[in-house]
Amino acid sequence: MNTTEKSIYLDYAAATPLSDKALMAMTPYFSEKFYNPGSPYLPAKFVRDDYEEKKSQLAHIIGAKSDDLIITSGATESNNLALTAVSESGKILFSATEHDSVRVPAKFHGGREIKVKPDGALDLDDLRKNLDDETELISVALVNNELGTIQPIAEIAELVKSERLRRRLAGISRPIFLMSDASQALNLLEISVGRLGVDLLTFNSAKMYGPKGIGALYHSRETRLHPLILGGGQEQNFRSGTENVPALVGFSVAAGEARSHLTSSRKNFQHLKRLFQKTLTDFSEITPLFLGNPKKQLANFSPVSFPGLDAERLIYLLESAHVYVSTGAACAASKGEKSHVLKACGFSDDIIQGSLRITFGKDNTEEDIILAAKKIATAVNSERTRLNV
Amino acid sequence: MSKSTVFVGMSGGVDSSVSAKLLLDQGYQVVGVYMKNWSRDLPGMKCPWAEDLADAKRVAVKLGIDFRVFDFETEYKQKVVDYMLAEFKQGRTPNPDIMCNQEIKFKLFYEVAREQGADLIATGHYARVLSSNSSLDLTNSSLKISNTNLGLTNTKIEKTNSTLNLSNNNIKLANTSFGQKAISKTPQLLLAADNNKDQTYFLYRISAVSLAHTIFPLGNLTKPEVKKLAEQFGFANAYKKESMGVCFVGEANMKDFLRDFLPEKYQQPGKILDFETGEFCGYHDGAVFYTLGQRHGLDIGGGLPYYVVKKDMKNNLVYVSRNLQDKNLWTKELILEDVFFRETPPRNIRVRLRHRGELLPAIYEAQKLIFPEKTRRPASGQSAVIYDGETCLGGGIIL
Repeated sequence: MNTTEKSIYLDYAAATPLSDKALMAMTPYFSEKFYNPGSPYLPAKFVRDDYEEKKSQLAHIIGAKSDDLIITSGATESNNLALTAVSESGKILFSATEHDSVRVPAKFHGGREIKVKPDGALDLDDLRKNLDDETELISVALVNNELGTIQPIAEIAELVKSERLRRRLAGISRPIFLMSDASQALNLLEISVGRLGVDLLTFNSAKMYGPKGIGALYHSRETRLHPLILGGGQEQNFRSGTENVPALVGFSVAAGEARSHLTSSRKNFQHLKRLFQKTLTDFSEITPLFLGNPKKQLANFSPVSFPGLDAERLIYLLESAHVYVSTGAACAASKGEKSHVLKACGFSDDIIQGSLRITFGKDNTEEDIILAAKKIATAVNSERTRLNV
Repeated sequence: MSKSTVFVGMSGGVDSSVSAKLLLDQGYQVVGVYMKNWSRDLPGMKCPWAEDLADAKRVAVKLGIDFRVFDFETEYKQKVVDYMLAEFKQGRTPNPDIMCNQEIKFKLFYEVAREQGADLIATGHYARVLSSNSSLDLTNSSLKISNTNLGLTNTKIEKTNSTLNLSNNNIKLANTSFGQKAISKTPQLLLAADNNKDQTYFLYRISAVSLAHTIFPLGNLTKPEVKKLAEQFGFANAYKKESMGVCFVGEANMKDFLRDFLPEKYQQPGKILDFETGEFCGYHDGAVFYTLGQRHGLDIGGGLPYYVVKKDMKNNLVYVSRNLQDKNLWTKELILEDVFFRETPPRNIRVRLRHRGELLPAIYEAQKLIFPEKTRRPASGQSAVIYDGETCLGGGIIL
């Protein structure tokens, strides 16, 4: 394998490299400032103070207070913890395009799927239809991790608000909460839990150039969560375990960086997306089908399909060309399962099997994008030749 | 003339990957196939099927060949796993690979491949075939094939440094400028060139029809040569750990597998008794887990090791002895059942009692093997594979 050729990574929705600033901020906490924040002596107290300060800054980014934030091992844990807000008899409604870390536990607790429209946006009529007196939680990710669809969270929040009012007037004491997984969103959207109207919000350091293995859950004062992990009582008893100080520091710094570059990042990615899509269209012998609604799609997402082709083969061809993308097709990586997100949007098998997940990130340059588009076109064309289509 | 289409079984391992490339280079129309036989995880062992499939597909894409997945999970469960469990329940020690080759790799795979347009099938096994479809390069080789009829009509033979012993079979020597190539009308399964890797023991039950349409591209190569080729070809799996094929191959894994799949009643503790004295020696966790001649896993205290010499499944007893010469462990005769032969064996043959085992001279007579000297007795349920010269004729299950 030619290791001198630069590789072009286009799967930022799956993982991001750690930002230099975050790495620098984290490093002291591995060596000189390694103390356990719970220890009684002065150096440990300083570490505790640093932790609290960084946690506050993190909370501030989403318009929340430190006390309303629970630090966990990642979005999956946060999502599982969020679902504990639902009582034994309460019902969960979740969008058909939720990530497995919401879908699987929600289904486990008897939750019901709400349909989405072909562009991936939640079908609000279907939501209204399924909303009843027993519903306690509605879970809809702010940005879908495959199509980049931005959900109408504020509208859903209005729905939840009216329902809350209706229940109060009807004398029904059962609470209703709105939960949103914002893992893909923090890079490019301004998040304010107050303005969004959510009661629970999860987000993930690993998707935003922070360290892996750490995430957060925002919860409003009205929610009653049950800790999944018991022990020393950290995170106000919501999540025991000695704090992962370096990771939290990195998380906070990375989140801060993202927050300060929102507009410029968005502009940059819109530009790259346009360039990418044009180059791909120009060079490919099969017309690419760009998925999702560009008006409601996060700037760095450009999912595309080449109906009739086997995307897994494209991925292997591309990896030889040092371009790394993912797919929603049934493949070995997905254990033979088709993307449930694409299925929920009603895409045909042909489209799903030929779909590539492409997400741009910080290190992608214009040259990279153009080159990648050409390489994808080359792979597409060679498959087309091979299949004689 | 259009190229022949070969469907090659690709497991994701080095051997089948190199096989696919060699076939492509030889001018065949190649289709790579991953056979999905099993996908369930076992306690303590994650099933690697998805990674193996990805490895196989990756190679197929690199070679630019069509790639398909044949899902044989149902049939594999019925024909291999259930067979294996039934044998264990009887107190026997079956060999699932042999049944897998007979029923799945060289029967079901062959049938489905043919349905989908294959002229031939191929696998990365270390073995050689001699048939009208597959010629054997005899240059610089000393190949002994007994029971052959040599048809030498209208052929010019160029013998280049080779010793050829042929008797009583339909083998034609075709004239080529590369030396001598032998083709046989009745398909023959021959030992691989790499004696250390030869897998004919597991292949003995392949039908003549399948064999006539099978190519083993690696038959003339050694494992180190194959690995080198994989590196040359730039296969990512050139360094991959030897794939075990199915997770439960291997003693430790087999026990875990049986524990998961056998009903509780086979997993009850029972007594271990000294075969000679009848004395109580200790407890075992289920007679089903023990096999004749086994030394490990017997939880009995120090001194000379104990060997399993007999099992009583009905009473869940395991009999052991310290005496390596115990008569239960040795025999001069073995009776075979479920015999399978592609050709009738002669009286004097050689037999293998385990994979890569020595080829022991013996007499074969009416489903009975007679050895000149006492031989270590294999466990009931194992196979005895019979050879005539370099040809594997077939064999049977040891009673």
